[in-house]
Amino acid sequence: MMLWRQFAMEWRLYRRDRVAMFWTFAFPVVLLLGFGTIFRDGGGPKLSVVRVQAPAPGPQDTALDQALVDVQLKVQALPKTEAEARWSRGETAAQLETDGAGYRLRLNSYLMAQAGATAGLVNQAWLMAQARLNGSPEPQRIPVSVESPGHKHSANYAAFLLPGLLGLNLVSMGLFSVGMVNVSYREKGKFRRLAVTPLPKWIFLLGQVLHRLTVTVVQAAILLLVGRLVFGIENQGSFVDLFLIMTLGTGCFMAFGFALSGFAETSEGYAAISNLVFFPLMLLSGVYFTLDSAPAWLQHAVAMAPLAPFLRALRAVFNDGGSLAGHGAGLAIVAAWGLAAFALAVRRFRWA
Amino acid sequence: MTGSALQIRGLRKAFPKVVAVDGVDLDVARGEVFGLLGPNGAGKTTTLEIIEGLTTADAGDIEILGLTWAERGQEIRARIGVQLQSTSLFNKITPREALDLYGSYYPKRRSTSELLDLVQLQEKADAYHITLSGGQQQRLALALALVNDPELVFLDEPTTGLDPQARRSLWDVVRRMKAEGRTVMLTTHYMDEAEALCDRLAIMDHGKVIATGTPASLISDLAIPSVVELTFEGDAPEPAAFAARLEQAVERRADLWEIPTPDPKALLPRLLEAAESAAVPFQQVHIRRATLEDVFLHRTGRSLRE
Repeated sequence: MMLWRQFAMEWRLYRRDRVAMFWTFAFPVVLLLGFGTIFRDGGGPKLSVVRVQAPAPGPQDTALDQALVDVQLKVQALPKTEAEARWSRGETAAQLETDGAGYRLRLNSYLMAQAGATAGLVNQAWLMAQARLNGSPEPQRIPVSVESPGHKHSANYAAFLLPGLLGLNLVSMGLFSVGMVNVSYREKGKFRRLAVTPLPKWIFLLGQVLHRLTVTVVQAAILLLVGRLVFGIENQGSFVDLFLIMTLGTGCFMAFGFALSGFAETSEGYAAISNLVFFPLMLLSGVYFTLDSAPAWLQHAVAMAPLAPFLRALRAVFNDGGSLAGHGAGLAIVAAWGLAAFALAVRRFRWA
Repeated sequence: MTGSALQIRGLRKAFPKVVAVDGVDLDVARGEVFGLLGPNGAGKTTTLEIIEGLTTADAGDIEILGLTWAERGQEIRARIGVQLQSTSLFNKITPREALDLYGSYYPKRRSTSELLDLVQLQEKADAYHITLSGGQQQRLALALALVNDPELVFLDEPTTGLDPQARRSLWDVVRRMKAEGRTVMLTTHYMDEAEALCDRLAIMDHGKVIATGTPASLISDLAIPSVVELTFEGDAPEPAAFAARLEQAVERRADLWEIPTPDPKALLPRLLEAAESAAVPFQQVHIRRATLEDVFLHRTGRSLRE
């Protein structure tokens, strides 16, 4: 009863801060809509190549262009100046241009994963075109397809992004909401005012934690709904698994918030400390992009941080319909971080 | 009800750099308004926080309403009311909600509308806390301290930072508490507040109680019921020479001289004579009754405000 009253009051006061509440719920949706739309085609199922248009296309050019389409490449034919402009903006992974009597394929070193795969297809197409020109039998070729490991959602960057945003919400809830609120309550003496009443302090804390949890659940529900309505993304795995992973993550990152709040005297100090933890976690843990091309040591370090294995398990379930069984090690890392943070929180937590 | 509301023996609390409370004994009787008077840093707030259970003492015994923190902490919390030096609430909670919420923490509670009446916040009952004036916030803090119908109320500098009118209206609330039979213990560094509100006082300095008694007895114990205050036009004369001529001790406090005296009528003619022969024109001569300020000054050699 006391707990319920505390919880209800937290929500009532939270609803009054409309600006904060709006952005809490709207920000992930804006990110999803924004990035999901921008990258809707870029990371699509087809590998693409920019074809610099020949000034006077000969039969060889025509045959090659046809072959490029036949090997399922997406071809963007552009005049030389436009192609160069696009190349220098760094948007092109691979660019095929005429070089004297032959051709040249330029690959973007920043986009080697796409560029390398594209190069293989371009060479297939070239063999095909030569065979057709010579009238000799076409070489056998191995068909290439681009898919996600679970054969689902392969077309959609939004589908990759959405679990990342779910994870990001948990982290920011733990680090910013829970941790910041604790520090400011201590700083402003709210804990002390409560300490002179008979209300058990754990009820107050639990009320707060439950409030944050429900905020997170609402956030997740909104994100899932928008993902489904706008991008047609659906949870491919079981909702039980999804719930278990989310619960583990919530516990882990909330413990982070509690632990960090023990290290700051003031809200300003806490903002600095939490950002110090938040930004590396967020940037390096694959919320927005994968780290396939990062150096190996960095990949190992990131794999030991809690967010990356959490997101991997989340994506495996959500995007690929996998089970939790294969992610025991990763989830153990998350749980270990959570326990360590909890132990630290218990040691450092102060009421005044 | 008679008997002791609060009994403290040998209370001590040291912080890394300072001994905040250094062997304090206090007795507060039921139904009285008891004041802790002293300058900032005297140890008043630390003493109060130990009594309220917010800080643990290094040594000493405390009995509150016959109970001890170690044995009956929850019962003490249920029977005392506390106003902290600054009461922090949510920005967007209303007085009505705050009183309902805090009231729900207690087994016994007073009705919210009764409390709003008591502190005259009916009109602001549904305004957000952040929109209340300093005096209104302080009155809400008082109402919160009364939400459980407490037998013993602690007020830590209840009027600091308030304008004179807001102070008066807070004093009325404190007097009402006493009229309702509650015991009140408050801290203040305003001597007028201590004189106006308190039945008995303890004067604190450097963590020690240096005097205890009713305001009247503390002043009469000084045996100098009056003080003559002098200011001069132009440069003041040399005090030692002037005191010798006057045959009376003179205390110099910046531009103001103070001459404590049991008999101002006898002093005045001699004073005028001395001034005439030394050829120093007065700007102002002022006779006033001794105050708690003088008590503090005589016990410590320092002013309360220093």
